[in-house]
Amino acid sequence: MAILRLENIYKDFSGLEVLCGISLEIRRGERHAVIGPNGAGKSTVFNVITGLYKPSGGKVFFLDQDITGWPIHRIALLGLVRSFQITTIFPTMTVFENLRNAVVSKFNRRFNISSLLSRSKEIRRECDRILEWLRLSHVRDVPACELSYGWQRRLEVCLTLALDPVLILLDEPTAGIDVKETLTFVEFMKEATEGKTLVIVEHDMDVVFNIADRVTVLNNGTVLVTGTLNEIRENEEVQKAYAGRK
Amino acid sequence: MSFPFEIYVIQATHGVVYGMLLFLVASGLTLVFGMMGVLNLAHASFYMLGAYFAYSVTLYSGNFWLSLLISPLIVGTIGILVERFLLRKTYKIGHTAELLLTFGLFFVFGELVRIVWGTIPFSIPVPTLFAGDVPFMGRTYPIYRFFILGFSLLLLLGMALMLMRTRIGIIIRSAVSDAEMVGALGTNVPIVFLGVFGGGAALAAIAGVIAAPFLSIYLGMGGDVLIDCFVVIVVGGFGSLPGALIASLMIGELQSFGILWIPRLALVFQFLLMAIVLIIKPTGLFGEKE
Amino acid sequence: MSHPRAYQLGFGIAVSVFFLLVPFLLPEIGIHLAIEVLIYALFAVSFNILFGYCGMLPFGHAAFFGAGGYAVALILKNFPGTPLLLAFLLAALLALGIGAFIGFFCVRLSGAYFSLISIASQMFLFAVALKWRSVTSGDDGMTFARPELHLPILGEISMRDVVNIYYFTLTVVAVAILVCYLFLKTPLGNSFVSIREQERRASFLGYNVYLTKLAAFSASSILAGVAGGLFAFFQAFVGTSFIDLNMSMSVVVMTVIGGKAYFLGPVLGSAFYIVFQDWMSSLTNYWMIVVGITFIVIVLYAEGGLISLLKNERVRLWASRLNK
Repeated sequence: MAILRLENIYKDFSGLEVLCGISLEIRRGERHAVIGPNGAGKSTVFNVITGLYKPSGGKVFFLDQDITGWPIHRIALLGLVRSFQITTIFPTMTVFENLRNAVVSKFNRRFNISSLLSRSKEIRRECDRILEWLRLSHVRDVPACELSYGWQRRLEVCLTLALDPVLILLDEPTAGIDVKETLTFVEFMKEATEGKTLVIVEHDMDVVFNIADRVTVLNNGTVLVTGTLNEIRENEEVQKAYAGRK
Repeated sequence: MSFPFEIYVIQATHGVVYGMLLFLVASGLTLVFGMMGVLNLAHASFYMLGAYFAYSVTLYSGNFWLSLLISPLIVGTIGILVERFLLRKTYKIGHTAELLLTFGLFFVFGELVRIVWGTIPFSIPVPTLFAGDVPFMGRTYPIYRFFILGFSLLLLLGMALMLMRTRIGIIIRSAVSDAEMVGALGTNVPIVFLGVFGGGAALAAIAGVIAAPFLSIYLGMGGDVLIDCFVVIVVGGFGSLPGALIASLMIGELQSFGILWIPRLALVFQFLLMAIVLIIKPTGLFGEKE
Repeated sequence: MSHPRAYQLGFGIAVSVFFLLVPFLLPEIGIHLAIEVLIYALFAVSFNILFGYCGMLPFGHAAFFGAGGYAVALILKNFPGTPLLLAFLLAALLALGIGAFIGFFCVRLSGAYFSLISIASQMFLFAVALKWRSVTSGDDGMTFARPELHLPILGEISMRDVVNIYYFTLTVVAVAILVCYLFLKTPLGNSFVSIREQERRASFLGYNVYLTKLAAFSASSILAGVAGGLFAFFQAFVGTSFIDLNMSMSVVVMTVIGGKAYFLGPVLGSAFYIVFQDWMSSLTNYWMIVVGITFIVIVLYAEGGLISLLKNERVRLWASRLNK
């Protein structure tokens, strides 16, 4: 039932230990939030899982496969995708072209030279389907850099969804979005990730309460506790960790 | 083949002399890259301009030492103007634009020199103060080369003192590590950039001046020294002065002994060295984190 | 078809007709120039695969141009009976081999590091060409005789006549550029652009950045090799000037001035460079400075190059989000 498993992950940067023995399990189909004070190591955990960093110790298992130290693109092709805190969309490409990059990858045509991209009806149809599904049709031909910030964040998430992944890691997807837009964004995310497994790093506790089934609290590079929302709320150590930061 | 011991010492001395000259040019290049992230292809133009201005000043004033004063001043000013009015515009565009601009400047400076001074190489006679040879290792050795050695060591000492002991030096060294942080701490980073860029240019010009009687003055001298500088900063590490020093001496010796042992392949070795370093440790022997 | 497209098509047809009729429209000197324009156009297009499409800036691209030139010369000089097209094929393969080899090592680097190792590899090959006198004749260069071209129906075509050389060059360049154009419109070509636009996101979408860049590097080196081979064939000569820093610098200048943001930008750049050089050098000693200053102005104010000033479209976006 666990599609992602971290076993005792350590990560240090030239002596600075950022992750000290992180073990955690993500169950298939759940919505799991990772929270913790600044500097707790949340983004670093994502970076280790997705292959941006190699852990200094420990292992990462995805779908029962040891993916520790795998290159980024190989992990992504297994169905493990992530979004970034700082938007990484393709700026001068239109929304359609952005999604098309994901579709080309999904269909494994990244190195294809036997056909012209613009002529592939299959790819175009799939892109249009995704545009509809993710409600992006109205900005189909807008260059991504001309979207509003909120819609850029949305596109960032949609790019990961376009790959039809198994596990989605979202790194502070609502960062910088105003309260009103956040609500719609969260509803959208819940709908769009239906049936998939979601891990989300968030600072905004409203979002966490809205989305999460289970929560893991990190502090100082270790896991304080993993449990349901209520269990977390009652937990003394968690309260201490957050209080200590004020 | 074996050579008598004296030959080795003489070749080694050749290597150190050229190495120190190379260091004077490469130090500005590596500091600017380490601090500003800009690989200034036009840096070698400053070296070439230094030599050509030295020629003109010596020609019209009859005094070589005057050119050692005037040439770096002119070239340093040119450097400051380039940074302030051209290079600065490219910071917000991107690294590619920075590279292309310095490339364009290298191109333009080369042409300007060709137009003003022509294509025929020049030579400046060695200044009378250091003319002639001196007995060395059973043979004779030109005094002027010892002067180059001594003068460069003096400059090296001056640079080291400035960077290690003065406040400006500390600011510069910190800016090489992390320019943003230094700016956040209140230092006027643009002025520091301006100063280092202009200072590096002046230093390159000084190298050009003292090299002129030794190496002769020709249009391709910028390109030749530029390639050697690239090898130096790759091997020594971008932004590292100690690295640049060691690498310069290595290159100097490599060229010197290479010509002695396998003249046909001498040119080739330093590129192999550069390629090996780039592949194994891209940040160079003394370079910092990527 | 909207108006701009109609204009583009019309312009394209006019230019094609012009190139087809050059031997009838221009004096012999003009034909020579046209051949050079075509060859450098191919060279610049190959450069732009790496620069405009993939976002890499090689300052030593003459390595492959020269490799192709030397290959054609060596084959035709040492094996005079070789069919012409075979010689070019072999030259292209050699350029590909060298490109894949060099690319294997340098494509993992980026930015200034990549530019530097590109220069280093070109200077290395330059040194080899210069010093290996027994094979390359060093800085004297090698001359050779141009063999005839044997075609199925048309029979033997002598290559001593500049008009024939022109049409041969035109055909090879046109085919190569067309193939390149289609190549860049495939999903692989799109991968190049994706990597340039946002390398991080591309890799997190499953794109193998290293292999993609290597593919671009290899494609680029083949075309550059063909261009170099054509140049050697045209001059019936090859020398170290084919593989020196100056040649590497020229293609950078042409592409930047012509414009990297569109496929035909480099072609415009090579036409500008060659024609301008010929026209101006007879008038004044200062033409190179004009080129240099134009280059700098474009770098600072019009990154899309001359062609962007003509097109005025999405280039503003392109320019504002240049590869960092």
